Amino acid sequence: MKRAFLLFSLVISPVFFWACQRSKGPEGNTFKIGVVTSLTGSNAAFGQAHKNGYTIALEEINAKGGLLGKQVELDYYDDQSRPDQAVQGVSKLVDQDRVPIVLGAYSSESTRAIVPVVTQKQIPLIIPTAVADNVMESNSPWIFRICAGSGSFATATLDFLKNNGDPKKLAIVSENTNFGQANNKSMTEAAKAAGLDLVDSESYQASSPDYKSLLQRVKGKNPEVIYFASYLLDASTLMRQSEQLNLNPKYYTSAGTGFAAAEFPTTDKGAGKYAEYTFSVSQWLPSAKWKGSQEFDQKYFKLAGSHPAYHAMEAYAVLLVAAAAINNAKSDQAQAIRDAIKQVDLADTPFGPVKFEARGQNQHPVLITQVQGGQYKVVWPPDAAESKPIIPTPEWSKRQ
Amino acid sequence: MINWLYIALQAIINGLLTGALYAIIGMGMALIFGVMRIVNFAHGAFLMMGMYATYVVFQATGISPYYQFPLAGALLFLVGYATYMGLLRPIRGQVDFMVILLTMGLALILVDGAQLVFGADYHQINIPLLSKNIHIGPQISINAPWLVAFAIAAVLACALYWVVTQTMFGRAARAIAQNPYAAPLMGINVNRVQAVSFGIGSAAAGIAGSLLLPVFYLFPEVGNQFKLKSFVMVVLGGMGSIQGAAIAGLVLGVVESLTSLYWGNEWALAVDFVLFILVLSLKPSGIFGSQRA
Repeated sequence: MKRAFLLFSLVISPVFFWACQRSKGPEGNTFKIGVVTSLTGSNAAFGQAHKNGYTIALEEINAKGGLLGKQVELDYYDDQSRPDQAVQGVSKLVDQDRVPIVLGAYSSESTRAIVPVVTQKQIPLIIPTAVADNVMESNSPWIFRICAGSGSFATATLDFLKNNGDPKKLAIVSENTNFGQANNKSMTEAAKAAGLDLVDSESYQASSPDYKSLLQRVKGKNPEVIYFASYLLDASTLMRQSEQLNLNPKYYTSAGTGFAAAEFPTTDKGAGKYAEYTFSVSQWLPSAKWKGSQEFDQKYFKLAGSHPAYHAMEAYAVLLVAAAAINNAKSDQAQAIRDAIKQVDLADTPFGPVKFEARGQNQHPVLITQVQGGQYKVVWPPDAAESKPIIPTPEWSKRQ
Repeated sequence: MINWLYIALQAIINGLLTGALYAIIGMGMALIFGVMRIVNFAHGAFLMMGMYATYVVFQATGISPYYQFPLAGALLFLVGYATYMGLLRPIRGQVDFMVILLTMGLALILVDGAQLVFGADYHQINIPLLSKNIHIGPQISINAPWLVAFAIAAVLACALYWVVTQTMFGRAARAIAQNPYAAPLMGINVNRVQAVSFGIGSAAAGIAGSLLLPVFYLFPEVGNQFKLKSFVMVVLGGMGSIQGAAIAGLVLGVVESLTSLYWGNEWALAVDFVLFILVLSLKPSGIFGSQRA
């Protein structure tokens, strides 16, 4: 019995030793920053864009000597596109790996799930891409968001529409997790305020092969504008099936994301020619006027073999912001880093100026793009426009 | 105002088109359950394998899935046969829980394996047929690939039904289903018949995956939702009745389509499971009243 115990301890003690070593955290040779994103699961395309963006920022930071004299290491946790996994990820990153700051997650659904967790653990979180406005509603002093929210998406879209034909009959089609629902709510409120007639509001399950009945319902209501809040897989299927049903609103508009993904206008991973003429909100494009945008585009192309959309840029930008804050804080403690993030005032990043207002929100302008010839072209606001919007959307039967 | 009639008709047609694919998936599950009383939790993973196999062949050769689906069927037949012989046969006669754990474990390995090999990224393919629509009158339109898939599925469903009801093999399989102890006494090679049944059931899932590929997209977890639906179909169709599962598949397709048309898409999945619970609690032998419950 005694011998067995001795043997057991011998076997188990290195494991404990190793575990203790690991949990020591920031005292190691590298500075660890926690990242939660969706590397697998239905949002993997966006998670991969995140990772590419982070990788580029990481290389730039480390080339300049890292942070506080240490090379930076990103500690990824893949939430598998699931909010429960995102929560586990934050616990793992903070409790086990002892990271002093977390970036992420990808989706609004996952992000909303981790907001209370980082708040409770008192770790700053910088949100790159979650547009649902409810992720900022907790008023937690630990939460910062670099991207524009669903409310801005709705007002920018309505502003564009008002100045381009002023249509009145609107239908909203949104996926049924936090992202879609938050955009649906924002658009419903904004449309009401703007005096539009909301003729239909639909939500759907994102992993369905068949949206034809849903689109049929929309068609029956005869809207002039459809506003989609969709991820990539569903956005492609929705547009393909809109053609099958010969659904012809004057404007296909959208809350970005799937409709703004780099893959969306491509044939092999997106909607291909069915993406043509769709409008989308956007927050950044390779052609953006901000300094460093083109360089980022080139680096991204070298890394990934394709051009980035704004999701990658937002990941890149949050890591730059985190680095700036850590440098200013001269500390690896969560509280000090949080206070430094509040003070961040970056005048020219490739994502534009970054500065967080009292609630932790960065004021970022929203653009409207249209897919023209397989490319996203900025069509609104006028001072940023690259080309004229094509309105009304040509009917399916009259396209090439 | 005859318009609403067209819209309903269109929804029913769409439902039948989707339902035919559900039907093959359900028939495969029902065959396995009927002959072996095995709830195959790997059914969705087999469907996923069929999709990936078709995808790989398509990427390499460019041959449309509608020609090369027998390949996926053959592959999955072998996989099913081997799974039965290698994994399931050794634990036959043990508690059912073992079988559930084993097939669930297998599903996890296959899904994670696919993730390892192909990545979690999703894929889709484009074939020229996708942009062809057939218009019937001014109101009804049918997307050509769905119609082709429907036709293939219908032929396969009839063939499967014929095999099970008319051939010697089918009779042997049904004999085992009726009485697994008496069947071997009548000279039936139980192991072989069960292995072949498992193979055919898996092949059905593989072929369904192959036919789904052009109209859907592909990622390692794609099988899960179809696995859930196939449980619903087996229960609706009457616990192992193949024709019951086929009809249940069509019903499910139409019900989903109509629910989605009149109540909204977010209810479609809920209605599936409401049906499931209703049937389980009110008529456990299935709505298509099978002889064996």
